Amino acid sequence: MINLLKAGKGILSSGRITGCLWLLIILLGFPLLNTCTSDTDKPTVKLEIRNHLFNPSEVAIPADTEVKLVIYNRDSSPEEFESYLLNRKKVIMGNSKAVIFIGPLPAGEYPFFGEFHPKTAQGKIIAQ
Amino acid sequence: MLLTSVMVVLREVLEVALLLSVLLAATRLLELRARWFYIALLLGGCFAVIYGENLAKISQAFGGVGQELVNAGISIFIYILLIVVAVLLLVNWHKKHYKLLTMQFVMLLAVTMAIMREGSEIYVYLTSFWLHPPLLPSVMIGALLGAGIGYSLSALFYYLLCGLSQRYTLGISCIFLTILAAGMSLQASQLLIQADLLPAQEPLWDSSRLLEENSIAGQLFYAISGYEATPTPLEVVVYVGSIVIMLGIIAGVYYRISRD
Repeated sequence: MINLLKAGKGILSSGRITGCLWLLIILLGFPLLNTCTSDTDKPTVKLEIRNHLFNPSEVAIPADTEVKLVIYNRDSSPEEFESYLLNRKKVIMGNSKAVIFIGPLPAGEYPFFGEFHPKTAQGKIIAQ
Repeated sequence: MLLTSVMVVLREVLEVALLLSVLLAATRLLELRARWFYIALLLGGCFAVIYGENLAKISQAFGGVGQELVNAGISIFIYILLIVVAVLLLVNWHKKHYKLLTMQFVMLLAVTMAIMREGSEIYVYLTSFWLHPPLLPSVMIGALLGAGIGYSLSALFYYLLCGLSQRYTLGISCIFLTILAAGMSLQASQLLIQADLLPAQEPLWDSSRLLEENSIAGQLFYAISGYEATPTPLEVVVYVGSIVIMLGIIAGVYYRISRD
């Protein structure tokens, strides 16, 4: 353990590399501090999961607009909301809700599914 | 249920497995013992259970984006750890036995973090079937199959890396570390966009006709390089930036040690 601590100290003192890493942390961390934007002005769309089905299974949203998606999981089992085209992935525990921001999207159809029950839990976002 | 279970587990396992194979190949390259690896497996497993148990609470934290924040944090942390691994690998290639213990500790941290994140999803998935005993056997068999396929693929990848001629091993390991690391920061940026903490933009291109993300090749490519068929401009900048920063640091260190 002492050796590990010594080793840890060693790497902290290895000058230039550490400097670069700090720069990196600051660069990556900065946007987080900078963008505490409010989402009140974004349109909200609600859907729910019940018996491993999305309801509604087709959701129309305005094209080229960022939308706040609120998904209520009414089942007791967890689900993972996932969409390849939307680049979204989030575990939603049983009897809870999740917030996922999507878009802005060009007009078109964007399928999503529940990864834990993909046979039934299918749906799509229609941007128009 | 069997096939779903195979796919859920395989996809999560793959994301960790490639990282594991590259780090294990680095371990072998430096003739280190793989003890750190077993500790990381154990710790990662424990933390995965803890994270999975608390996922409901974590998800609701920070206005409902706690899950994204924690996962993005883990990704950025792994990115930084992989830079340290690449640098130490390079230094040790030229000067034997330089901070080897640190290197093992850093690899242990990276693997523990990765297993914690992906393992928690598997844990949440599998434990949801405790309440449905009739489904349990097929889900468990599927999970074992998925884990087995993931394990085989990473073993194959590991032996490919180890089988390379010594001249190329270092370079190729550094390249894979860089690609995997950039994939991590890409994931982080995506999660922060999903949480509305980074600006959302329209996708820059759509290469899903060329290579679909849900195809087998797409999934493999995703596991290696974080492939996205529809990245936003910011994601592309983060990805390219991460590669440039990491290669820059590697090149800088290489220049310094070859000058000494």
